[in-house]
Amino acid sequence: MSEEIKEMPDNPMERDKYIPEKFNVLGKRGNKRIDGLRKASGKAVYTRDIVLPGMLYMRIYTSPYPNARIKTMDTSRAEALPGVRGVLRYDDPEVYNRRIPTLMGGEEDILAGYAYFQGQPMGAVVVADTEDIADEALQLIEIEWEKRPFYLNPKDALAPDAQLARPEWFPESNLLPLFFQPTNVFAHGDVRKGFEEADRIIEFDGSRNYHGCPDAEMISGITKWEEDCAELWLHQQHVYEHKWMMNQWFGIPMSRVKINAPYNGGMFGGWNWIDYSMVPQYISALMAKRLGKPVKWLLNRRDDFTFGSLDSMQSEFRVGFKNDGNITAVQLKSYFENLSYEPGLHFLENTKIPNIESEMYVAQVNKGPTHAIRCEQLPPSFALILVFNHVAAELEMEPTELALINDGVDGEDINSLNEFKKEHGFPVRDSLKECIEKGKEAIGWDEKYHPPGTKKLPNGKMHGIGFIWDHEWDETRGAGMAAVIIQQDGTVNVIATRSDVGVNAESTYCAVVAEELGIRYEDVLLRQQDDVHLPLMTPDGSCNLTTNSYVMKKAAKKAKRQLLELATSTIHLIERDVPPAFPGLATDELDVENSVVYVKNNPSVNKPVADVVRDVQGSFINKHPYAGTQNTTHTPVYAMAYHRQGRLGKESGRQRLCRQAHFCEVEVDTETGDVEVTRVVNVNDVGKALCPEAVEGQQYGGTYMGVGRNRSEEHIWDPATGVLLNGNLIDYKFSTFLDVGPIDTIIVETGMGLGAYGTVGIGEDVGTDTTYLLHGAIHNAIGKWVDHGPITPDKVLKALNKA
Amino acid sequence: MEKHAYTCPYCSETFDALENLKSHMLQAHKTDPIPRPEGVIRLTVNGEEHSIRVEPEWTLYYVVHDILGLTGVKLFCDRGACGACTVILNGRSVLSCMTLAIECDGMTVETAEGIANKNHPLVENYVKHHCMQCGYCTPGFVVTSKALLDKNPNPSAEEVQQALAGNLCRCGTYPQHTKAVLETAQQLAEQGKEAKK
Ligand code: FES
Ligand code: FES
Repeated sequence: MSEEIKEMPDNPMERDKYIPEKFNVLGKRGNKRIDGLRKASGKAVYTRDIVLPGMLYMRIYTSPYPNARIKTMDTSRAEALPGVRGVLRYDDPEVYNRRIPTLMGGEEDILAGYAYFQGQPMGAVVVADTEDIADEALQLIEIEWEKRPFYLNPKDALAPDAQLARPEWFPESNLLPLFFQPTNVFAHGDVRKGFEEADRIIEFDGSRNYHGCPDAEMISGITKWEEDCAELWLHQQHVYEHKWMMNQWFGIPMSRVKINAPYNGGMFGGWNWIDYSMVPQYISALMAKRLGKPVKWLLNRRDDFTFGSLDSMQSEFRVGFKNDGNITAVQLKSYFENLSYEPGLHFLENTKIPNIESEMYVAQVNKGPTHAIRCEQLPPSFALILVFNHVAAELEMEPTELALINDGVDGEDINSLNEFKKEHGFPVRDSLKECIEKGKEAIGWDEKYHPPGTKKLPNGKMHGIGFIWDHEWDETRGAGMAAVIIQQDGTVNVIATRSDVGVNAESTYCAVVAEELGIRYEDVLLRQQDDVHLPLMTPDGSCNLTTNSYVMKKAAKKAKRQLLELATSTIHLIERDVPPAFPGLATDELDVENSVVYVKNNPSVNKPVADVVRDVQGSFINKHPYAGTQNTTHTPVYAMAYHRQGRLGKESGRQRLCRQAHFCEVEVDTETGDVEVTRVVNVNDVGKALCPEAVEGQQYGGTYMGVGRNRSEEHIWDPATGVLLNGNLIDYKFSTFLDVGPIDTIIVETGMGLGAYGTVGIGEDVGTDTTYLLHGAIHNAIGKWVDHGPITPDKVLKALNKA
Repeated sequence: MEKHAYTCPYCSETFDALENLKSHMLQAHKTDPIPRPEGVIRLTVNGEEHSIRVEPEWTLYYVVHDILGLTGVKLFCDRGACGACTVILNGRSVLSCMTLAIECDGMTVETAEGIANKNHPLVENYVKHHCMQCGYCTPGFVVTSKALLDKNPNPSAEEVQQALAGNLCRCGTYPQHTKAVLETAQQLAEQGKEAKK
């Protein structure tokens, strides 16, 4: 591995140098999904499904108040309830005053005696024979509270006379220190100069309400002890890191932690982060040890409504531009809730806008934590999309044209980006132009585009058409490792630890190995290796495939080298020598395709891989039906590989070369404010689509999630009590099948990605950007802006002066 | 082997099988010869008969998932809003999280496992068209789609969409389901034609 690390530059901005001229497996349709049958037949197992013999159930008390401290707590009635096996209180010695570092900075109590939002797991946990008994026992806990003032709006929390929203965590002020960046002003160029150069300046504001991440599977986890070894079952995107945190926080030796990563019912962020699911997991470990039985912790549906995305924000925009469409300055000031991500970044990463200034304030408010939920790039996508919408409308310019004028990077135009592409071995293609051309044609843009508020349909509704662009996510950061084994019958296993989020990664990893090793796709299978040190970047979506495909590729190449050496060498076993399968030939005279090793200049001389490896397998030669004789080699080919790709935030000039474009049509009912999304066209440059069906799946899925967030998803609190009112899936509205019209999925493959084979991730791109898909289209329909998301009918009516 | 004779205690009629005696007693004398203990229900799940003692508050979901160990019913919303727990109960698709098990006595239940075990082409087509991402909602969609095809073997795309409108998928796989269901309908129609030949 040390050799591989040495070979890796700190700044891997080069294109993959080893892209085959023709592909046999990758990019082909019809490679069967490995998890498909399991999932369709209901036989795939998720953590929620798992029941162990003697298992107990753990539920955590949740706070009824948004900012309060426990004065006294009486758990005696809960403890006395039949079926209750144990109660852990915040003031029990195992947890009292035990604080742990969190991923996002700061420290938290493992089990707090106070709460910062209604619904916060805190105070006590109950372990019982059934989930129902544990729930009943929680109701019997009596608490005397000290209630404190609470804030639901960041501006209120930052008012000079505001009291502390989170006194035990942040005793100085409600202004949160920034996590992702050193200062609260992000600047590039000189905005003052940019505004002086502008022909026109506009100002507007926009905001997004807190929306969240309930997964399909209500989150849970299990801990079981066997002597001093802990075995964990995790609904988690960072499974391997769980081992590490168990060690760092709690001193359990990593060698004594076994992890299991069953399938995960949804995983878009939030709870899946270690610092939050880690705590209940640890408490379950503690209780399992105390009670001598496996303990499963479970959140119910309401508990799972405690996380928000990072775009809980209110922003004021000021934009300067020339009459020809060149944007000269963007300035914004934003207020965030609980955590933030720099909203000005995409102007730097995707445009040539020379002058950018973004000021932000993050306030502690009494809502649940906000976190990266598909994904942390929401704020910069929001800002970029709103600015381009407004400038195009002000200039009465076609928005696609405005995008092309301003495309670029780091304040430089597309030509400098093209220079970069040339220097780093990428094809020089105009990704945005290609995406726009394809999208316009698919939606019929030239016939359908019209000035705002001018097209009334026969059904009385107003027609709108919209376009957004960006490149939301180009990061290929991360590290992973895996091994490839050729079994004695010539079939192949990939061994790695991964956390499944459903993006068909298992199959795609196998396809990479099949491609590189020359093995039939159906002969390769990934075996989840929960317990050893072969962690892949997980979850498998987004940037991770681009990292992990390098891992697979390297491991397969190594295995292929070993296979060909085996085919051309005499193998010395204890009792005999095995002659080479291809005597007198060198490895470079052979190749492998379709699970057959053949001589390159005479393919009729060939031998199945199975025969090559079987020949060195003693038991078969001796016709023994088992492999246990001492003159065997067992699996004769085993190769392990490691790859690290980039370092988040450390490289300078981390260029985004690919682009994405989304088009939509809406019909707005000006009487009810209802918006119907009648058509969406997604065009994504993914560099190279390793599995086209999975790419399309992300384009469909991202659209439904994005449109749902754009129209209906929001947490609603009672302003008088700070209680969340819609923590269930009836009142919190995901998109259903009927909420989006036909969706086109267009894949562009420029090969300009930083991942293996020139790939770029897709898992987060569509879902993030389409969260702001409708603003421009609604403006095109009614001639009014609705920039405060989600776009609910009341806001549309307000824009029309009807409410 | 000697045949057992089963004699009715009320009218002395004899039967050569216990089952026949039982149905005679139920029909003729309106009485169950072997009364079941209170709370015991009979369920036929994917063709297999079960006799299960249930508490009055147990849901059908709980019985199928936790007692019978069939993981094809999933708890997603836990409140009748998502369809992930759908089963076919006596030919109708129902939400098992909203159905009390005690009310299902004598009924037949079909889950995704049963549909897959019978090699229904829907399952293969679900795999082919990548109708799953995380897969948590998928068995519920399979069951709902099967119930649709049982009733309407030749649905339009719109009818498929309407039928599946009550199933939530957080991963947003919806359009892929239409492809799978329509292809299945077509295959079943062709199979039907072949069978008639
Ligand atoms: S779990 Fe039954 S409808 Fe959602
Ligand atoms: S596939 Fe994940 S919820 Fe539907």
